[in-house]
Amino acid sequence: MAKETIKATLWGALVTSALAILIIVGSRNLAHFDAALVGYTFAVLFATFGITYRYAMWLQRPPTALYWKRGWQVFFRPRHLSRNLAQWFGRVTGEFALNRFIFRRSKSRWAAHWLIMWGCVMAMAITFPLVFGWIHFETLPEDIHWYRTYIFGFSTFAFPIHSIFGFMIFHGLVWASILVIAGVMLAMRRRMRDHGAAALQQFGEDFLPLILLFAISVTGLMLTASYSWMKGYGYDFLAILHAITVIFTLLWLPFGKFFHIFQRPAQLGVGFYKDVGERSAQAQCRRCKEAFASRMHVEDLIKVEQQLGFKYEIDDATEHYQWICPRCRRSMLALAQGREWNEEVKR
Amino acid sequence: MATIPDLEQDIIERFGPHLAYSSGVRLETGIEPDRLVQTHCCFCGQQCGIQLKVKDNQVIGFEPREDFPFNRGMLCPKGVKRYLQGSHPDRLLSAYERDKKSEGGFRSVTYQKAVERVAAEIKRIQSEFGNDAFGVLSGASLTTEKTYLMGKFARLCLKTANIDYNGRLCMVSAAAGNKKAFGIDRAANPWSDILKSEVVLIAGANVAECAPITTNYVWQARENGARIIVIDPRITPIARTCDLFLPVKPGRDVALFNGILHLMIEHNLLDHQFIEQETVGFDSVAEQVREWNPKRTAEVTGISEKAIRQAAEWWGEARTSFLLHARGIEHHSHGVQNVLGAINLVLASGRIGREGCGYATITGQGNGQGGREHGQKCDQLPGGRDISNPEHRAYVAGVWGVDAAELPGAGVDAYEIFRKIDRGEIRGLLSICFNPKVSLPDSKFVTRALEKLEFYVAIDFFLSETAHHADIVLPGSLHEEDEGVVTQIEGRVIKINKAVDPPGDARQDWRIIQDVAKALGRERGFTFSEPREIFKELRVASRGGIADYSGITYEKIERQQGVFWPCVSDDDPGTERLFEKGSWNPIAKGAGRFYFADGKARFNVAQYAPPAEDVDQEYPIILTTGRVVSHFLSGTQTRRIGPLIDQYPEPKVEMHPRLAEKLGVEDGDWVTVESRRGRVTLRAHVVATIRPDTVFIPYHWAGNQSANLLTISAQDPISKIPEYKVCAVRVSKTD
Amino acid sequence: MAVPRHNQFFIDPNRCIGCQACVQACSECDTHKGHPMIHLEYVDRAHSVQTVPVVCMHCEAPTCAEVCPADAIKRTEDGVVQTARKPRCIACNNCVLACPFGVPEMETELKLMMKCDMCYDRTSVGKKPMCATVCPSQALFFGTMEEIERLRPRSTPINQFKFGRQIIATKVHIMIPKTGRAAYIDVTAAMDERSMGKDITLMILDEMLDVRG
Repeated sequence: MAKETIKATLWGALVTSALAILIIVGSRNLAHFDAALVGYTFAVLFATFGITYRYAMWLQRPPTALYWKRGWQVFFRPRHLSRNLAQWFGRVTGEFALNRFIFRRSKSRWAAHWLIMWGCVMAMAITFPLVFGWIHFETLPEDIHWYRTYIFGFSTFAFPIHSIFGFMIFHGLVWASILVIAGVMLAMRRRMRDHGAAALQQFGEDFLPLILLFAISVTGLMLTASYSWMKGYGYDFLAILHAITVIFTLLWLPFGKFFHIFQRPAQLGVGFYKDVGERSAQAQCRRCKEAFASRMHVEDLIKVEQQLGFKYEIDDATEHYQWICPRCRRSMLALAQGREWNEEVKR
Repeated sequence: MATIPDLEQDIIERFGPHLAYSSGVRLETGIEPDRLVQTHCCFCGQQCGIQLKVKDNQVIGFEPREDFPFNRGMLCPKGVKRYLQGSHPDRLLSAYERDKKSEGGFRSVTYQKAVERVAAEIKRIQSEFGNDAFGVLSGASLTTEKTYLMGKFARLCLKTANIDYNGRLCMVSAAAGNKKAFGIDRAANPWSDILKSEVVLIAGANVAECAPITTNYVWQARENGARIIVIDPRITPIARTCDLFLPVKPGRDVALFNGILHLMIEHNLLDHQFIEQETVGFDSVAEQVREWNPKRTAEVTGISEKAIRQAAEWWGEARTSFLLHARGIEHHSHGVQNVLGAINLVLASGRIGREGCGYATITGQGNGQGGREHGQKCDQLPGGRDISNPEHRAYVAGVWGVDAAELPGAGVDAYEIFRKIDRGEIRGLLSICFNPKVSLPDSKFVTRALEKLEFYVAIDFFLSETAHHADIVLPGSLHEEDEGVVTQIEGRVIKINKAVDPPGDARQDWRIIQDVAKALGRERGFTFSEPREIFKELRVASRGGIADYSGITYEKIERQQGVFWPCVSDDDPGTERLFEKGSWNPIAKGAGRFYFADGKARFNVAQYAPPAEDVDQEYPIILTTGRVVSHFLSGTQTRRIGPLIDQYPEPKVEMHPRLAEKLGVEDGDWVTVESRRGRVTLRAHVVATIRPDTVFIPYHWAGNQSANLLTISAQDPISKIPEYKVCAVRVSKTD
Repeated sequence: MAVPRHNQFFIDPNRCIGCQACVQACSECDTHKGHPMIHLEYVDRAHSVQTVPVVCMHCEAPTCAEVCPADAIKRTEDGVVQTARKPRCIACNNCVLACPFGVPEMETELKLMMKCDMCYDRTSVGKKPMCATVCPSQALFFGTMEEIERLRPRSTPINQFKFGRQIIATKVHIMIPKTGRAAYIDVTAAMDERSMGKDITLMILDEMLDVRG
């Protein structure tokens, strides 16, 4: 096994074990663990291993490794830490909570993504702690119309079961499903109409995730419908169906489109790297003498390219092709081709 | 009456130019258009095939039209963005009446009321000052049906001699030269002949910017082994990589042609057989070019003797060739002489009327060819007939069902119409498809004349700068809102198809003209119900003329992807190449292949004269004007299309670094260019691609950015084309 | 859907007239509507009207994809290097700086790199890319190898480029003279090359300038 794989496997095992321990501890030695949900738990553990493994592999690629290192370095620069923290909150809100950059790409795309994202976040925030036994409810001994919430086995707030609050809490997954279904509909509409999307989309990458989300949401809603209005008609079958959709999605998490959820935060590191780059020394193009990027970025890229095996070194004062700006690169292509024709005229 | 004192800014705020960009449904990528309409571009004479995407009576985009043989999908940036002219915020949606108190200087009025006012004013002016006191200015971007109707309207309905058109600014020198030499005015060859020539000589044509699709023909010829010779005072993109570049001093083209002919004679690079058997007049031309030895030619043209000798050698020795010229040699007070000089080179070589042997002017306007054939020219009747020729008058009068005596005689050219306005001889004016305030030289004079008009009615789809002066504006139609034929650069008659209906109160131009005729109570001959009916009459009117369309039908155009005129009968596919051996024409009647009674082509002595206004101590620099690729003519359309303005936002003064150094000017500095007629202040564009004694300004802009504030109204005595390409200026850095 | 194998992209910058029809048409494509992806620039306008159109060359081993920290750039099986996958691209600019041809563009506001994808919506259904369809000089040509050989008897296509010591092979071809013997176009060797074109050489230039006093 290659070094990278060993490293990634170890990281995967470590994080998965940590989660397992947390489940045991959080459910008070499985006292509050619902045995019926054991399938979900194992799927989550598998997904955790898979995601950590892939993440670790990804971080070991030269460009990612460099960005990872640099991102943290520039973030923790003592002089800028307070400003960085403020910016971190700003960016998490703007880019992650509000998806502002997607809004700028396309409004319908943004609406779809925002609905799906918040639907999923809500659903996971509810189900994962429940499945792991990290949260459970107990009726108050003095009033059976009240519930008390226990988190990690610690007693917290209580609320009346038949209150609006209670209704909202117990139907949290219904609300999440509605958001997800609305988002999936919008996304599907775009995928089916848009000519650009039609050219580029692939079933596995683009349709499957939407279908899975839709299936989870709909089977979940059917469960609610079954026990609320149909006296539990077909409940067992629906529960199995729902479990299948969820477990399949969890198992697929490390491989497909959903992995972007874990990659995306890198955007924050890039932001800080760019901020520092703008404030620091600029690289001047060694052909036109214009500034075109931060010196740090160019030097880092040279390292990355060398690690990747590219040989863009130039045997003169230019040293490396990376010191030439993109505009000059384009011009040089024309000049190089023109030179061939000029030589033909001479012949 | 037609003055615009302080309203200019108000007018611009209300009527534009505002910039249109793709937005809404035009940016949507999930829209299926209702239909794709196969038609042509609305701009230049190449008339590239294009498909317009239509959704809900709106043009929302385009698709290339690869089946049309001329351009096979190719388009220039104007063609690509042409769709943005529709659904434009500046579009005139109702008739307007001048009203100083209203916002924007005009008040919206009902169409009927506006037409009635037009009729009343025409009647008043004509009864008071005579029929010729009302003038008509028309345009060469109209379909041929409309240009035919405009000529008929002026002669038959208004009975005025004074109609002319903006082709006067464009194709007339070539037309006059062609008629003198060949007896017919049409590109002699289809562009496919360019591909088969050994030498392509391009004189005064910025092909890359003004006829971009022609570039591929030239490069393809080079790829097939041709040598490319370019004559231009600027290194245009087509000149950059040509084989021989002759940077002629503006206004000296004929000297160069004479010099080349001199060398051809000297080295006996002539087609003697052709000259003897099929031409007349060679001897006097040979006599005249004797003085144009290389030394003198070099002195006058500013081109090295070596280059002139090289040109003569290549041109003289070629077995096949194509000579193309355009406004660069035609926009001169001796534009016809320049054209004749170029044609003499073709005739001396004998390379005409066969495959790979061609000659053509690169027509500028959309219907530059068709628009100059069917009677909106001041001295012309349909079919390219002569209004002074009794037989021609009788024929057309017969078609129109009137007595020939009722038809007025020849009128005056477009610029002379303004002089007549200035002198009070013309009191009222109707204009369509013409923006003379921007496009005519010495625009201060044009403005003064417009202000003197008692009544001016403009038909347009946007309020052009000239229409700012109008008393009544009638909302006309865009290219995509009507159907009809146009004749493109090669002489191919093609069909414009309607994509959408005119919005609001706007209507098709021919309907407006007919409505005016009706309001005048003279609707006889103006009761067509569709363009097809007009075309049917036009075919009859052109029958037997030189520009004979009688065998052309909409269906034949559709079937053949265009029909080259002359096309004289139903089973005649048309005439792609003129002057082929054994060809028949109605003038020579079999005597020969050229359009003269003896069937022979004419050599004409091409006399050199310096430009009307040469440089001197006071105004030491030559100004030449022209176009840029992203704009068209007076810019009424292209200055309203955002991406085209972004590509070239404002006019700049091109000058050579040596001149700039002398003037203490750096690239981007503001400079003032002054002539005897006016001044403009623009940014300098310092580039080594122009002669150091010349500056260049593109002319598409209005107001104080207008190059035509500087240009001179000197005209060619024969063609009456103005001398846009040379006048004297001084340039100084603006503080 | 994939780009049919026989259709290829050929560029002859020497033909380019700088008209920008390609740029204007590029923004009409459905995969990047409103965003022209082709670059068209003057090489050195002060001295020459030479211009250069640059589309993605679709490298066989794309540097942009290799240096992408987010795995956002994919080369499809038909050899087309696609624009960054929207969920992944983190707008780091590595690809923009590393592409040897200077192709990708960063849309900072959108947190997204965009680049020429050979009009995938068109080429994958057998149509030509917008730029090559409209190009009036056919500096941009899309067609088969047989067509280009027939149409350009003086030229030959080449798809190997040298930058420093690195040779890059691409899907897109550049036209060079048939008489040339080069195995590749040496781009970095053109570092100090001057923009080309005819010069205004006038024998009486100096006198003319003197007249002006």
